Amino acid sequence: MAIFLYIKKFFISVYSIFLGFRVTLKNMFKKSVTLDYPLVKQPMKERFRGMVDLIPPDCVICYQCIRVCPTAALELAHVTKEDKKKEITKFVFNAEFCCFCGLCEEICPTDAIYLNKMYEVVYFDHQDMLSIDLMKADKYKFLNEKNPSCKI
Amino acid sequence: MGEELIVNMGPQHPSTHGVLYLELKLDGEVVLDCVPHLGYLHRSMEKIAENRTYTQFIPFTDRLDYLASMNNNLGYCLAVEKLLNVEVTPRAQYLRVIIAELNRVASHLVAIGTFAQDLGAYATPLFYAFSDREKIVELFDELCGSRLTYNYVRIGGLSGDIPPGTDKVIKDFIKYEYKQLVEYNELLTHNVIFLARSKNIGILSKELAQAYSVSGPILRASGVRWDLRKDEPYLVYDKFDFDVCVGTVGDSWDRFKVRLDEVTQSLRIIEQAIEAIPEGNPVSKVNRVFRGTGESYLRTENPRGELGFYLVAEGGFNPYRCKIRSPSFSNLSVLPALIKGLNISDAVCVLGSLDIVMGEIDR
Repeated sequence: MAIFLYIKKFFISVYSIFLGFRVTLKNMFKKSVTLDYPLVKQPMKERFRGMVDLIPPDCVICYQCIRVCPTAALELAHVTKEDKKKEITKFVFNAEFCCFCGLCEEICPTDAIYLNKMYEVVYFDHQDMLSIDLMKADKYKFLNEKNPSCKI
Repeated sequence: MGEELIVNMGPQHPSTHGVLYLELKLDGEVVLDCVPHLGYLHRSMEKIAENRTYTQFIPFTDRLDYLASMNNNLGYCLAVEKLLNVEVTPRAQYLRVIIAELNRVASHLVAIGTFAQDLGAYATPLFYAFSDREKIVELFDELCGSRLTYNYVRIGGLSGDIPPGTDKVIKDFIKYEYKQLVEYNELLTHNVIFLARSKNIGILSKELAQAYSVSGPILRASGVRWDLRKDEPYLVYDKFDFDVCVGTVGDSWDRFKVRLDEVTQSLRIIEQAIEAIPEGNPVSKVNRVFRGTGESYLRTENPRGELGFYLVAEGGFNPYRCKIRSPSFSNLSVLPALIKGLNISDAVCVLGSLDIVMGEIDR
């Protein structure tokens, strides 16, 4: 009887290995799911959360983004002029602290602060990413020149 | 009895993510004793929660069990809602069920893939599982703009409604996944080599599982019919028809099989939920201010087991205390009892079948 069991086990083994190979064969002729990354780049989704960016004229200096930020990555200071108009003196973003949660974008009443679609973010100097001046228009310019695909 | 040898099955480098250091005492190739060392990933989440407002802590819950961020967000937000009596619209509840179950599928797929990889099926099943998971991650990317740390659930709702056309994407995915499950069965479940490696390895008895307060698929694989979605329904789980998958023996293969069956059940829940989504507004604004007093404990069924949040509030904008009961911590504690007397290669099999996430253990 033992010999029959042995033969039965042998055939079951062969069958299960054949099944496995069939799966492999089926998948061999599938369309590739990966991209040739540095050459082919995936467009980011509409709600993608990249680097923090600001449209300076839209900012109403309500300090809500500063208050909601869980990691204190944003720093804002302002002065009140004689005609009671507020002016931003400092709006700095610390990319090292940022956890890219997007709460500042959600809470902003005028959509002045938002998260852009940059994802290849490399700085040559560590100090540069600790204090990114959001008031400057060309803050991410050199990154964009290096990576034309990830335009803001 | 030969000479005892201590082998460090440990981190290659402490800055790699998800590091666990096992101190194995060996006799030849047989494990005599095992001491897991934790703490390489400690970020003091519970203390962080005390210094943040209720909303601000949501991004941090993403980093607990990073393979099931949606479920963590959900567990925390449900606990806060219970504490402060926040109303949630029915549409938000249905969407929450859908995203939680989708994330359960994604998490179980990773568990299945990595378990097969631990057994030596190098890369192939893992790649199949990851390409399936990719579809869910893409969908979540569409919903909330991130692929791992979703930060989608808000106290009292969600951060945004689903974009139009999402329900069709989900329906297509369900159809696709049912086909893929057949493939997993052919490739893994009844494969002779896979069975020989995982059958009757690391048997966890019912009593031992309950004594260690193990939860989730590992508890169910030992034959205990305990699922919080059934036994203590939260959200709208009581409206759906699904089965609780249980194993018989409690070995590594049962734990694998329970996870594979749970994928099917999760897909069934999503199928029913997507047909019954009511109209309404699921969005909860971030600038809502939450404060109150009292305490609450709420546990939810995560892919890895029971995730509990214990919150105490004393009237401020932030909780006075936040205790997190993470499932992987209890699930890992049973490992030394399981691998005593097994070979090293089987110890790897048992560790893989427990499917732990270190981000949750160290918190």
